[in-house]
Amino acid sequence: MTRDADPPVDLPHPDLVAAIPRLRRYARVLAGDHARADDLVQDTLARAWEKRRLWAAGTDLRAWLFTIMHNLYVNQLAQWRRDSAHDSLDADADGLAWQVPVRANQADRVELQHVLREMGRLPAEQREVLLLAAVEELRYEEIAKLLSVPVGTVMSRLSRAREKLRRIVDLPPAGLRAVK
Amino acid sequence: MKSAVRPIDDADINAYVDGQLAADRATAVEEALQRDAGLAERVFALRALNAELTDALDPILAEPIPERLLAAATPPRAGQRPPRRWMLPAFAAAATLVLGLGIGWTVRGVLIEQSGTPTTFARQAAFTHALYAADARRPVEVWANEEKSLVTWLTKRLGHAIHAPDLNPLGYALVGGRLVAGNEKPTALLMYENADKERLTLQVRKDAKHVDAKPGGAGDTAFRYAIENGVGVFYWVDDDCGYALSGTLDRTQLLALARVVYGQLAALEAIEHAPARR
Repeated sequence: MTRDADPPVDLPHPDLVAAIPRLRRYARVLAGDHARADDLVQDTLARAWEKRRLWAAGTDLRAWLFTIMHNLYVNQLAQWRRDSAHDSLDADADGLAWQVPVRANQADRVELQHVLREMGRLPAEQREVLLLAAVEELRYEEIAKLLSVPVGTVMSRLSRAREKLRRIVDLPPAGLRAVK
Repeated sequence: MKSAVRPIDDADINAYVDGQLAADRATAVEEALQRDAGLAERVFALRALNAELTDALDPILAEPIPERLLAAATPPRAGQRPPRRWMLPAFAAAATLVLGLGIGWTVRGVLIEQSGTPTTFARQAAFTHALYAADARRPVEVWANEEKSLVTWLTKRLGHAIHAPDLNPLGYALVGGRLVAGNEKPTALLMYENADKERLTLQVRKDAKHVDAKPGGAGDTAFRYAIENGVGVFYWVDDDCGYALSGTLDRTQLLALARVVYGQLAALEAIEHAPARR
């Protein structure tokens, strides 16, 4: 006869699991290296459980989690800045260990590495706006709310980030994208 | 018609590229693009940049979710939670005493139907695991080198999309799979093996009758553990399928694997159900 050996263990929450890949991407853009990024995601999930009463039905869980993660990151940075031993972890440090996603094939790797490296040279506040606007396709108003800054600030960060990348990333002339 | 009262500025171009420019300004930008080749080139370059960034960052979404993050997505132990489902038989037993045999009998019947079924599933999963995992030469019907046709076949027979989770990061490679008998409907069996030839099986069955997950009911489902003749089984219900992961390894390791299986399937589902981008 089967015996139930012990009480059940809760399943991971499906809505949180569904949000993890995007949280990891945002964290990677903020923190650069895999382990530190995943630490940030783990802290974000822990905080989400602490504040679980604030999960309002019908609201965008992703945006809420992004807000938590952004705030955690900002607080961590402040901590690092206070701690002189961690100067090297400053927001704008270009020592960020950008790592290329695991699935990339050899040909892709070179190109992805280039894009990520150039993006890694931007200040964190520009990197995150770029991710949220260009890749996550959030509305500027949503981004402003998420980061607790005016919409004008979002737009100027975005514009500055793009201006730098436009010069650095070797943007192809018309037609190149069709080659892929 | 005058092209615009306000000249087109950088903010307009950025918002235009991101599809966030108000309709009247967007029209003004489009008119300007017809006249100004330099502006058109700039818009093209910014769009290309968006695409480059998306291409560079999208692969992160497909990376397997590490176990520690799945554990962090699990409700923490402490806190005020409604009584768990597994407590219900205890309450019902008390009710039986109080309310008398007639009512008690009815409640008991219901409870056997509810709580008895998963036990049967776990038990059956353990037996099935023991039967095929012990088979050195023919543990599976279709081997992993034909994974694609295996998955297609099982999906067709179950009438539900079957995915073979990738457990390689945890040291378990897919051996293959087969169809086995379930209660009323067939069960899909996927077998994995590590370097020490230790085998795991994941059994999936679609059984809408036993679905008791409440729609939108957060955290009401659970991994349950049972052990039968030395075979440990973690089993859970998700949407309209029951899952059982069986093996002879210890409970902690089996739970870590169960979380990874659950996480991969949940992430796949999230991708499948996500609205198409752009």
